[in-house]
Amino acid sequence: MTAAGPDNGADLSAAEADTLLPTATGPQVRAALRDLIRPRRLLAIRGFGLLLAATAVGLLTAPLLGRIVDLAVDGRPPGAVTGPVLLLAAVAVGQGVLLALGLSLVARLGEGMLAELRERFVDRVLALPLEQVERAGSGDLTARVTGDVTVIAEAVRTALPQLARALLTILLTLVGLAVLDWRFLLAALLAVPVQLHTVRWYGRRALPLYARQRVALGAQQQQLLDTIGGAGTVRAFRLTEPHLARVAERSTAAVDLTLRGIGLVTRFYGRLNLAEFIGLSAVLVAGFLLVRADAVSVGTAAAAALYFHNLFNPLNAALSLVDDAQSAAASLFRLVGVSRLASPARSVTHSPDSAQAIGTSGPAQVTDPAGTPDTVGPVEVPDGGNPVGVPDRVGPPGATGLQIEVKGLRYAYTPGHDVLHDVSFSVAPNERVALVGTSGAGKTTLAKLIAGVHQPDSGVIRLGGVPVDELDTGVAGRTVALISQEVHVFAGPLVEDLRLARPGAGEDQIHAALDRVDALDWVLALPDGLATVVGDGGHRLTPAQEQQLALARLVLAAPPIAILDEATAEAGSVGARLLETAATRALRGRTGLVVAHRLTQAAEADRIIVLDAGRVAEIGTHHDLVAAQGRYAALWSAWAGTRG
Amino acid sequence: MRTGPPTARTVLTGAVTGQARHVVTSAALNAAHQGGEALIPVLIGVVIDRAVGQGGPVDLLLWIGVVAVMFAALSTGFRYGARSGERAAEQAAHQLRIGVARRVLDDRGGAEHRHLPGALASIATSDAERVGMVNLALAAGTGALAGLLVGGTALLVVSIPLGLLVLVGAPLLLWLAQLLGRPLEHRSSTEQEHAAYASGLAADLVAGLRVLKGLGAAPAAADRYRLASRHSLAATVRAARARAWHDGILLVATGLFVAAVGLLGGRLATQGEISVGQLVAAVGLALFLLGPLSTVSWVNAEFAQGRASAARIATVLGAPPATTGGADHPADPVRGQLALYDVRHGTLRGVSLHAAPGELLGIVAPDPVTAADLLRCLAREVDPEAGRIDLDGVPLATLDPGRLRAAILVAPHEADLFEGSLLDNVTAAASAPAAVAPALAAADVAEVARALPDGVRTRLAERGRSLSGGQRQRVALARALAAGTPVLVLHDPTTAVDAATEARIADGVRRLRRGSTTLLVTTSPALLAVTDRVVLLEAGVVRADGRHPDLLRDDTGYRTAVLT
Repeated sequence: MTAAGPDNGADLSAAEADTLLPTATGPQVRAALRDLIRPRRLLAIRGFGLLLAATAVGLLTAPLLGRIVDLAVDGRPPGAVTGPVLLLAAVAVGQGVLLALGLSLVARLGEGMLAELRERFVDRVLALPLEQVERAGSGDLTARVTGDVTVIAEAVRTALPQLARALLTILLTLVGLAVLDWRFLLAALLAVPVQLHTVRWYGRRALPLYARQRVALGAQQQQLLDTIGGAGTVRAFRLTEPHLARVAERSTAAVDLTLRGIGLVTRFYGRLNLAEFIGLSAVLVAGFLLVRADAVSVGTAAAAALYFHNLFNPLNAALSLVDDAQSAAASLFRLVGVSRLASPARSVTHSPDSAQAIGTSGPAQVTDPAGTPDTVGPVEVPDGGNPVGVPDRVGPPGATGLQIEVKGLRYAYTPGHDVLHDVSFSVAPNERVALVGTSGAGKTTLAKLIAGVHQPDSGVIRLGGVPVDELDTGVAGRTVALISQEVHVFAGPLVEDLRLARPGAGEDQIHAALDRVDALDWVLALPDGLATVVGDGGHRLTPAQEQQLALARLVLAAPPIAILDEATAEAGSVGARLLETAATRALRGRTGLVVAHRLTQAAEADRIIVLDAGRVAEIGTHHDLVAAQGRYAALWSAWAGTRG
Repeated sequence: MRTGPPTARTVLTGAVTGQARHVVTSAALNAAHQGGEALIPVLIGVVIDRAVGQGGPVDLLLWIGVVAVMFAALSTGFRYGARSGERAAEQAAHQLRIGVARRVLDDRGGAEHRHLPGALASIATSDAERVGMVNLALAAGTGALAGLLVGGTALLVVSIPLGLLVLVGAPLLLWLAQLLGRPLEHRSSTEQEHAAYASGLAADLVAGLRVLKGLGAAPAAADRYRLASRHSLAATVRAARARAWHDGILLVATGLFVAAVGLLGGRLATQGEISVGQLVAAVGLALFLLGPLSTVSWVNAEFAQGRASAARIATVLGAPPATTGGADHPADPVRGQLALYDVRHGTLRGVSLHAAPGELLGIVAPDPVTAADLLRCLAREVDPEAGRIDLDGVPLATLDPGRLRAAILVAPHEADLFEGSLLDNVTAAASAPAAVAPALAAADVAEVARALPDGVRTRLAERGRSLSGGQRQRVALARALAAGTPVLVLHDPTTAVDAATEARIADGVRRLRRGSTTLLVTTSPALLAVTDRVVLLEAGVVRADGRHPDLLRDDTGYRTAVLT
C-alpha cells in the first residue's frame, strides 16, 4: 500500500552515509522504475487488465449466493436454485482462467524488470572505480549484490502478485458493495480509518525494529562464523568460555528482537481485528436498516455481509505485505543508488597506440591494447556501455611492451600523510624492473597508482606516452594489468575462470597459457581436467596453484604492461621459487614491474628501484647496487646473510 | 547430555519438552482463536436470521454484542498464543545454537571433521531455527484442529448432508492442491538453482573484483553475469507460468466447491430444511475451513523439515570426539620437557625427538603435511596411531586436553583473529596483563599499530581480514607469546613478514622465551638462526639433528630445504 517513498530513502542514505556507496532518492527510484516499465507498457496493461477482469468476475459469487438466499426467502421450488448455481460454476471457471493468464503476464513483467535491474546493477558495480570500492569496503557491495537482489526478487515473485490480487479484490469488493447499495459501501468504509492508522502506526515501529533485527541476526551469524571457523584457535588458547558467552549474548540479542517483532505483529493484527469488527457490524446494521426500509432484500444484505467477510483475508494479506514492500523498497533504493552512478567518463578515448611515443618493433596487433584494425569500434553492450570483444591478439614471445614513465608522483591516503614523495623513474619497453623496499615503503601503493587504481595527488604517469588518466578505462584495463596480492579463484570450471581474461579463447590458447606458467601438467591431472570446478565450493587449489592461475590469466589477457604484486610467501620456499620462474615466463614480451617480496626476484630483474619511506632511494642493476654499498646492499646482505 | 548418542528424535523431543509450558499455553490459546474464527460465519448467519431477517433492534444489538465478545476473545487468543508460540520456538533454537557451539568448541574436538565452518554455522542458525519452528507448528496445528472441530460440528448441526459435503469436499480440495503442487516443486527447485547460481556468480565476481579490474576483465565478467541472469529469467518465467496455472486451477476448484455447497444448501433452504442464515453460515464455513486445513498441511511440512534439521544437529552433537581418555592434570609446575618416542601418525613414520626444558628447538619439515601432522599430535587434537609423546615424563594421552593446552600452546600458522580490538585479541589469551606489552614488542606489533587508524585499539573485522597477511601474523604471534605457556610451539609465524622485520622478531622471540621450552616449526633461516638446535624431518622421520650453522654447512638436504 504505502511503498517506501522518498522519506525512507533519505533515512536510509543518512544511516549509511559512512559506507560511501550511494542510496538513491525517491525521484531517482521512480525514474528508474519508469525506465524499466516503459518498454513493457503493453505487457503491464494486458497483465493487470486480465487480473482486473478475473477479480471482477469473482465478485459475482456473492450476489449469486445472495440470489439463492432470496429464492429461499421467497419460498421458490428447489429447482430454481440450479440456474444461479450453474452461473456460480461458470464464474469459477472464468475467474480461474483469467487469473492464470493475468498472473503469467504479471510474472513476465516483474521478472523481466527484475532481470534488467540486476543486470544493470552488476554492470555498474563491475565498472566502479576500484578506489571507490576499496573506500566503501566490499562488504556493502556484496550485501547489495546478493541480499538486496534476493529481497527484491522475493517481493516480485510473491508479494507483487499477492498484493496486486489483494488490492484489486479490495477495490472491486468496495465497488460491489456500492452496487448492492451505496450505503453498504459507507458502512464498510467505517473500518478504513482504523486500518490506515494501524498501518501507519505499524510502519513507524516495524521499520527500525526490523533494521535492528537484521543487524542482530548478522552479528549472530558473524559471531558463529568467527567462533566456529576459528575453533582450532579457540581451543588452543583456551578461549572456549568467553566465546560461548559471546555466542549466547549475540543469540539472546537476536531472540529478544525477534520476540519484540512478534509482539508488534500481534498488536498489528489485534488492531486489524478491531477494524474487521467495526466494518462487519456496520454492514450488518446497514443490512438490518435497509431490509427494514424495504430498500434491499435479505439476500442482498447477506451478500453484503459475505462480501465484507471475504475481505478479511485480502485485507490482512495486503496490510501484512506492507512489510515486504517496505524492505523491498529499501533494497531498491540501494540498488538504484549504485546503478545510477555515472559510468566512467569515456569522452577522452586516447589509446596509447595512437600516440607516436611507442617504439613499436613488433607487429601492430601485438602492441595494440585497445582495438586492432579488425576490431575497430569495439562492440557496444546494449546497457552496460562497456566495450567487449577483446581483440584477438596472442602474446607470443617477442611481443612488445610499452614504456612506463613516472614523474613527480605524490600520494597520500589521508591528507598530510604522504605515502609517496616525489617519485620519478621510467621503465623501457620490455624491461623487467623490480620494486624493493621494507614493508610500508609504498611499493604496493606505487603499483596501484601505475595501474590506475588510485589517482596521484600530483605528478604524471605515462604509459606508452599517454597519461594514465586520459586513457579510456576500458583501454587502460587492457593496457596495464595488475596482479595483486589478493588471490581469487572464480567459482566454476577452471577453463571459465581463465576465459574471463579472454572471452572465447580456444582450448589450444588456454593450454598454451597454462603451459607457459608451468601449470598445464597439474591442471590436466585434475579430476576433470580443464572442466574441473574450482573456487568456492569446488576443488581446492594450493596457494601456489592459485598464483599460477593468476599468471595464466595474465598471459591470456596479454597486456603490454604487467605489474606483479603477488604474495609468494604463502607458497613456501620451494613453491616461491617455482612461481618466480612462472612469473618471469609470463612477463616475457611485455614491460614488467615486479614488487619483489623475495630478493631473489630482484636479483634476476633487469633493474631495481629501491623505495624507502615513499622515496626512490636507489635505481640500478643488482650488481651496481650491491657494489654501491647503499640501502639495497644492506637489504641484500640481511637476506643473503640469513641464507648462510 | 543424556546417555546414548543424540538422535533426531531426542533433539526434537528435547526442543519441545524444554519449552513445554510455552508450547501448551500457545496451543490452548491458538485453539481458542481458531475456534472463535470458525464461529464468525455461524454468527453472521445467526444475525441474518434473528435480526436482519425478522428481529428487532434489540436482537440486532444483542447479537452484534455477541460478535464483539467473539472478536475480542479470538483476537486476544491470537495475540498471546502467537507470542508464546514464537517464544517457545526462539528459545528452543537458542538452546540448540549454544549446544552446537559448545560441542564444536569442546576440548576433545571431532565435530568439525565432517562439516565445513560455513555448514556448521548454518546448522547452528538455520537448522536450530527449523527445529524451534516445530514448537510453533505444534501449537498452530492444535489451533487448526480446534478450528476444524468447531467448524465441522457447526456444519453438522446445521445439516448432516451439508456438513458431510463440506467435511469431505474441503480435504479433497486440498489434496488436489498438493497433487497439482508437486510438479511445481520440481520446477521451482530448478528455478532456485538458476537464481542461486546467478546470485552466487555475482557475489563471486564482486569478491574477485580486484582481480577482474587488474586484468581489465570486468566487461567479460559483466557479460557472463548477463548470460546467467537471462537463464535465470527464463527458468523463473517458466516456473511462474506453472504457478499461475496452479493458482488458477485451484481457484476454479474452490469456486466449484462453493457452487456445490450453494446447490445443496440452496435446495435445503428452499425446502425449508435449513434457515437462510444457516445457508449463509454454511457457505462462510466452507471457505473458512480451507484455512485450518492448509495449516495442517503446513504443519506437516514443518515437522518433516524439523526432523531433517534435528538429524543434522544430532550428527554434530553426537560426533565422536577426536581423542578419548585421559583426564589427568599435567605436573605442576610444568618443567617443559617434551619427548617423542617413535611417533607414527599420517605422514609421521616413527619420529623420536627430545626437547630439554627451556630449549629453543627448530623443527624443519619441508613437507607441510608432515608439519601439520606433528602439530596436531602435540596439541592433542589427535592421539598418534602409534608411539608416545611425553610432557615431563607423562604421556599426553593420559592428560585432559584442556589442561594440557594450558601447558603446551600450539599456535597454528593459519592465524584466526577474532572480533574486537587488536589489543583485545592479545589480552584475551595473556597469562597476565603484564605479559602483553613484552609480547607486543617481541612480535614487532608497534609498526603494525602505527599503520592502523586507532593503533592497538583498532577494531579488527572479519577475523582480522582487515589486516594484511604480515600484520595478522605479527598480532597472532604476540598473542601466542603473551599466553606465556611453559611450552610454546610456533608454526611458520613470519612467512608474510619482510626479511629485516623477521630478523628482529626472531631475536624478540628468543629473548622473551628464554628459559621456556619453545618449538619453532619453520624453514625460515632467520628464525632457525636463533635456535639452540634444529631437527630435520624428512620422509616422516628425523633425518638430521644439530646446530643450524653446522647443518647448513654439512647437510645438503638441509641447505636445500632452508635456503632456496
